[in-house]
Amino acid sequence: MDRRNALKKTGLFAGAAIVTPSLFSLLQACKDEPRLSWKPLFFTDIEAQTIATLVDMILPKTDTPGALEMKVDIFIDTVVAKGYDENGQQDMRKNIAKFNEDCEVNYGAIFTELNEADRIKVLKNEEVASGKFNLSIWGKTIGEQKPVGFYRSLKAMAIGAYLTSEEIGKNVLNYDPVPGKYEPCKPVADIGNKWSLG
Amino acid sequence: MANFNIDAKKEVTYDAIVIGSGISGGWAAKELCEKGLNTLVLERGKIVEHVVDYPTMNLDPWDTELRGGLTPEQKAKHYKAIRSGWMGTDTEHFYADDAANPYTEKKPFLWLRGHQMGGKSLLWGKQTYRWCELDFEANAKDGYGVDWPIRYKDIEPWYTYVEKFVGISGQALGLPQLPDSHFLPPMELNCVEKHVKERIEKSFPGRNMTIGRCAHLTVPHNGRGQCQYRNRCNRGCPYGAYFSSNAVTLPPANATGNLTIRPFSIVQSIMYDDKKGKAIGVRIIDAVTNETIEYMSKIIFVNASALSTTQILLNSTSKRFENGLGNDSGELGHNLMDHTYRVGAIGSVEGFEDKYYKGRRPNGIYIPRYWNIDEKSKNDKFLRGFGFQGGGYRGGNAANIEEFGPDYKDSILKPGPWEFFITGFAECLPYHDNKISLNTDVLDKWGQPTLTIDAEFKENEKAANKQIQEDAVEMLEKAGLKNVQGFDEEHPPGFGVHEMGTARMGRDPKTSVLNEFNQVHAAKNVFVTDGACMTSSSCVNPSLTYMALTARAANYAVSELKKQNL
Repeated sequence: MDRRNALKKTGLFAGAAIVTPSLFSLLQACKDEPRLSWKPLFFTDIEAQTIATLVDMILPKTDTPGALEMKVDIFIDTVVAKGYDENGQQDMRKNIAKFNEDCEVNYGAIFTELNEADRIKVLKNEEVASGKFNLSIWGKTIGEQKPVGFYRSLKAMAIGAYLTSEEIGKNVLNYDPVPGKYEPCKPVADIGNKWSLG
Repeated sequence: MANFNIDAKKEVTYDAIVIGSGISGGWAAKELCEKGLNTLVLERGKIVEHVVDYPTMNLDPWDTELRGGLTPEQKAKHYKAIRSGWMGTDTEHFYADDAANPYTEKKPFLWLRGHQMGGKSLLWGKQTYRWCELDFEANAKDGYGVDWPIRYKDIEPWYTYVEKFVGISGQALGLPQLPDSHFLPPMELNCVEKHVKERIEKSFPGRNMTIGRCAHLTVPHNGRGQCQYRNRCNRGCPYGAYFSSNAVTLPPANATGNLTIRPFSIVQSIMYDDKKGKAIGVRIIDAVTNETIEYMSKIIFVNASALSTTQILLNSTSKRFENGLGNDSGELGHNLMDHTYRVGAIGSVEGFEDKYYKGRRPNGIYIPRYWNIDEKSKNDKFLRGFGFQGGGYRGGNAANIEEFGPDYKDSILKPGPWEFFITGFAECLPYHDNKISLNTDVLDKWGQPTLTIDAEFKENEKAANKQIQEDAVEMLEKAGLKNVQGFDEEHPPGFGVHEMGTARMGRDPKTSVLNEFNQVHAAKNVFVTDGACMTSSSCVNPSLTYMALTARAANYAVSELKKQNL
């Protein structure tokens, strides 16, 4: 998909262009960056690129489509733009900025400009450090939910967006809008992937 | 289905007015219409015609822009109800507008309301259980609240009557503390549930686990289709496979030709004639035009939902009833109850990784009450009892797995780990100081006084919850589950959405609002048969009992009307 190649080029180009890798200068430099191939409703280009790179690493293309093909990044932008209130939007903005700041402090550049090995280190670290969701029953988590980090929240959003995309929901997962009956105990092998509708 | 007659006539004196069209109002309308009464149903919200007005019934997640998520505007509109965790874009339109219909929580209380034809019968959980002899005797035995004016034998024929019409699926167990209904075939337990059931029943003699008894059809019944296992019930069921007023009671009421249903009708008060010594009609405000209109009738059924019904009675003042219609006892607004909610345990089940299910069963398991049912099962820590709901399923939270990348992505397409949980529902005692009152400082969109709710769970409910969690953890551990985790969300009342009481039935007009046929003691042509009428709360879901009480009261009302006693 062209958009993925465009993003990779963007990352390389941005890396070469930035002399002082501080977030402030990056934001200043924004207008000189190549544009995304889509126009975010909420994210800046750098924010959108950060999200895109993250969701692509979490859910890459294999013999099934990856997150970017399923427009997971674009959907997350839509959710933040139309589903979040102003506080939520500002939190998202701050969280992405903080994530990139931490990358700068620890690895010397914002996330999208790091080499793949460093980006993997970032994710491995976040997987351990970013907190976990409690179990939930009947629509709500149970127990005292400790704050969950930006990375884990984003990962959950990415998974949700990916699994509820039409291609995955209809053609990769088992789509059965009208099962007709309940069969309580079948071999997994007869079904395959999980059911797509909750 | 034929269109509903929505042309209410001011000049007509109706035989009956029914306020509200939810579970009990729908039943009142059906019974009264079928017995030949010219009946006006006053509905606060819009018409929701079966199937026609279920706009989201077939939507997939990708069909809506936010895939089920709510916009900030929708969240603001439902800023109270959203705490339930149930609402999405698929059901948002069936929840009342909290901003236009405010209420004040003196102590935390979740009040869920469905302001449309069918009310909360579109949204309810469909769990359907008979109450038992113990329930109707409980207040008399331990002295909390007042004695029920009826016993199980009084309501049993009416359970039978409504069950045969509604269609209840379930497994007969022959337990005195959970009498069997007339059942359609039960839904099936999945293999993990069967496994847990065997282990629990072996380790804990006297405890049973069964499939939930529910108002979902497992076979076609009375012209309605059977459940298709879509689990999209709360959007409205195109097959009419679960009980709602819209699919089940209002169509036959309409078919009699005796029904008029007036939407957008905010009931302001019930009019009482001091000289005649009875109610003469209902005063409404048209929600759209703000016009005040009066409708006259011989009898009135108040089925607005527990708290709204009492709100109407409190707002219905006259020379005779300065503190609200039927409030001679001072008990109107008091003794509010709900079941405790979301306290139990959850764990994972190993050894069934090669098993899965097909279909989304809109039902879970039930563990009937086992404490305080006889001398042997007496528990010194709390009075009365609790039951558990729950279930087993392949779940997990893929976001928590500390992996990412190609293999991880492929793994999240596979069924997750088996989880199994149980969550208790404990009976709440009737306390005089758990109450609602009219708030004239906060008015609704139509200038009407709103409610202040002042209720809490007390020591007995807290002790029951403690036992629930201990028992839940113990049962799941004995059943061999792993990572067993107890929980108590400490939800305030309202989260169970089984609000009961505030206009209780009783034998003595000095201590109760309604008599044994749900008549207001001192205004015998006014009947209250929704949750407001309840004298105690049992630990099982109450809706079936509202249906039975309503059919029973309607039958009595018509016979009294014929005898010219009303």
